[in-house]
Amino acid sequence: MRHAHAVLELLAPVVLVVAVALFGTLVSSSTQTYVITTLVNVSIVVALYVFIGNSGVLSFGHVSFVAVGAWTAGVLSMPVAEKPAIMPNLAAFLRDTTVGNVGSLAIAAGVGAAYALIVGLPLMRLSGLAAGIATFGVLEITHNVLRYWEKIGPGLNTFSAVPETTGLGQAAVGALIAVAVAFLYQRSRYGRMLRATREDAPAARAVGVSVYGQRLVAFTLSGALAGLAGGLYVHLLPVNAEVLYLDLTFITLAMLVIGGATSLWGAVVGAVVVSAVDSFLAEAENGVHLPGGTLDLPSGTRIVVVGTLMALVLIVRPAGLTAGREVPLPRAFLRGVLTKFSA
Amino acid sequence: MTFVATVLGADWQTLADAFGLGGIYALMAVGIGLVFGVLRLVNFAYGQLVMAGAYALAFAYERGWPVWVGIILCFAVVVTLAVAMDWVVFRPLRGHSPAVMLVATFAVAFLMQSIALLWFGPLGKIAASLSALNQPWTISGVDIRKISIVATAVAAGCLLALVLLLGRTRVGLHMRAAALDFQTARLLGVRANRVIGSAVLVSGLLAATVAVMLTVQSPLVTPDFALRDTILVLAGVVLGGMNRLISATLGGFAIGFASGFLGGALPTNQSQYLPSFLFAAVILVLLIRPRGLFARAGQQAVERV
Amino acid sequence: MTTTPVLELDGLEVRHGAVHAVRGLSLTVDRGEIVGLIGPNGAGKSSTLHAIMGLVTSAAGDVRLHGRSLLGRRPEDVARAGVALVPEGRRIFAELTVEENLRLGLAGRGNGKGDGALRGAFELFPVVHEFRSRQAGALSGGQQQQLAIARALVADPQVLLLDEPSLGLAPRLVDVVFDALQEIRERGLAILLVEQRAQRTVALADRSHVLSNGRLRLTLGPEAAGDSETLVSAYFS
Ligand SMILES: Nc1ncnc2c1ncn2[C@@H]1O[C@H](COP(=O)(O)OP(=O)(O)OP(=O)(O)O)[C@@H](O)[C@H]1O
Ligand SMILES: [Mg+2]
Repeated sequence: MRHAHAVLELLAPVVLVVAVALFGTLVSSSTQTYVITTLVNVSIVVALYVFIGNSGVLSFGHVSFVAVGAWTAGVLSMPVAEKPAIMPNLAAFLRDTTVGNVGSLAIAAGVGAAYALIVGLPLMRLSGLAAGIATFGVLEITHNVLRYWEKIGPGLNTFSAVPETTGLGQAAVGALIAVAVAFLYQRSRYGRMLRATREDAPAARAVGVSVYGQRLVAFTLSGALAGLAGGLYVHLLPVNAEVLYLDLTFITLAMLVIGGATSLWGAVVGAVVVSAVDSFLAEAENGVHLPGGTLDLPSGTRIVVVGTLMALVLIVRPAGLTAGREVPLPRAFLRGVLTKFSA
Repeated sequence: MTFVATVLGADWQTLADAFGLGGIYALMAVGIGLVFGVLRLVNFAYGQLVMAGAYALAFAYERGWPVWVGIILCFAVVVTLAVAMDWVVFRPLRGHSPAVMLVATFAVAFLMQSIALLWFGPLGKIAASLSALNQPWTISGVDIRKISIVATAVAAGCLLALVLLLGRTRVGLHMRAAALDFQTARLLGVRANRVIGSAVLVSGLLAATVAVMLTVQSPLVTPDFALRDTILVLAGVVLGGMNRLISATLGGFAIGFASGFLGGALPTNQSQYLPSFLFAAVILVLLIRPRGLFARAGQQAVERV
Repeated sequence: MTTTPVLELDGLEVRHGAVHAVRGLSLTVDRGEIVGLIGPNGAGKSSTLHAIMGLVTSAAGDVRLHGRSLLGRRPEDVARAGVALVPEGRRIFAELTVEENLRLGLAGRGNGKGDGALRGAFELFPVVHEFRSRQAGALSGGQQQQLAIARALVADPQVLLLDEPSLGLAPRLVDVVFDALQEIRERGLAILLVEQRAQRTVALADRSHVLSNGRLRLTLGPEAAGDSETLVSAYFS
């Protein structure tokens, strides 16, 4: 029984990710970009979930790790010939090396983890509001440094000329890796200890769990996943510092909150549902042809819709769409449906 | 010493600008700090109230309405929005954890910004009805833009009025008590809704005032108007100390003064990393002195941040 | 002729999650009465007072003031209806002045000027008057307790609830507090006194209820104050 639940806990998000990827093979190439973006979003939101969901501590800083991952993968994999044009002031050892696609992703994950570890060492002592503001500070600092420090990247320029290798396949594999890592982590001793601190920190401390240590483990792990997602991102489309800043922070947090921050299933559902809505609206902002005529929404609609949705969920259903639970067991679910119909 | 003397002697305008900006940021800090006091809520969306006020001013300017009509419109819009924010967002969230409320106001900030984008487009509107204030006054041979002086004076006036409100009136006493210990205040008969409503109202009035001042300095109103300022003020409020209005205000002033002064005095290639140092300081303060730099030590047992 | 009592609890139940703190408690307090509520730690005494004030919602039963139910009202509305609580631990606003603390008490009055009420409180507690412009945090524990009671009284309540007012006070100061309660009773208030000092409470109160595990075990009159055997057995039944 517990075993069955564990399998389902992994299987449901995996099936959802695979379904999204398969759907991507059926659509036109312009729509496919949205599907790939959705899968990358799943990676980011699952990274967020590993820390926020399991610890119950807020972080506004995760997009920093995404950004650092993107910078790493982008700088390393851009062809040497292209570098001087986009990154004229790049440090020499970065200027003269190029790393293959998979290698750049792996290093991105490593750098994301290392950065999260360094940031987490002091910050994991904070919780509540202080954690929220301090991690926001991390976002500001990272953004500021990436914008102006041209030795390590393009500064204000855009990462063009990075090989666009993030197709459906890589994006899906990335999302599956994130889901699997998150699953293994939350089932592990560490994950269980961290969740115990989320429910009742003093009690967990009393039985010898280091709240600080467990948070640091999760923060570092989620930094690795965020770094990987950043690598996927930069290989998907030309990004710059502005893309990996407040808007992305907002939208990914919204995905987590809307789906339900305390379960892996919630994180994945939130990422998929909100990405779908967001993609549709983004398309509609450029005008989309529907059977009934053309829908042409003014730009800005996306965030209005997602923002409203997020505020609504926070106010009306703070546990999110999935109520923060893992997948309901089919039998209980069926019984629920049956009673609803017979009533 | 010579450095200070050179800077001070060389450029009075920079100094006056810094004072003006410090005053404006101090008002924003009060607006954020008042609501935090009674609700334990950090209102991320405060800057968007200022932004809405700026659009109101631009709206009036485009139609050629008199200055005072624009200002009244600005106050009406901002106060209405502030009160609506209280009813629609703050009240349903009351009692949730500060982190949830922070995320919620973060969402509201984005929402309002996107509504502005939808409504007015990305290009921006002009609110220049008070641009005459950018002309200099010549005081004993030194030119100083009027707005720097006006902003300083208005900020001082607002803060004085606030001190009187908090110190001399019944509702002010209730607000102070609620900020210290809301539950006990309610047990004594202090009406929660009225106190919160008053705090929201005052913070709205301050946001409108700030909107008027800021549009003089930067008349181009875009959806992200006042966003940077709010982020800086939030940092300043945390640096100064959220728990007390005075320390929060000082923190706001200090940040405004510093960014006005350094922004004017330093060349761009030296001031570009200023935000990093600022937020590094914020993090440091949160870690080693969570009550803030300006709070007196040992004053409060309850840790709220 | 039966009159409705000023304060009436009727089968009150309070739950904190799984903890059943108060079970079916009924009692009345009338004008000019002191009713004691005593019992060991965790008996449910504070929970009872919190339920009256609307700080916790009661699971069942009723609380009536002059026959009108107080259930579902917010704490500030209960206070304004004429019930004042002197909370456990006093909850003085240490950073405000003594006078400001007292003026806060005026919030519990419907409206009108409170200078008369302030004077009445000063008469009862001369220390409070003496130190009115000091920071309340600078007062001693006994003075703070007097301030807390004075602050409750300026609201001109009909019912005064006190949660362990003698806690942590030197014996001489306990006398001051209990003497003050005596005088407040004579002013015609209805007083519900929660205490750990059983003997003194029983001696002062018109009747005292012994609460244990949330249930009312026993009711004692003042004559039982000397009978320590009854008291002890009431506590440990
Ligand atoms: N907020 C709460 N959450 C959970 N349990 C509570 C809460 N408040 C009180 N309790 C429990 O309810 C029971 C009654 O508590 P209460 O504070 O009413 O007792 P008391 O008689 O006032 O005790 P004391 O003499 O120690 O003040 C206790 O078991 C206590 O642990
Ligand atoms: Mg008690």
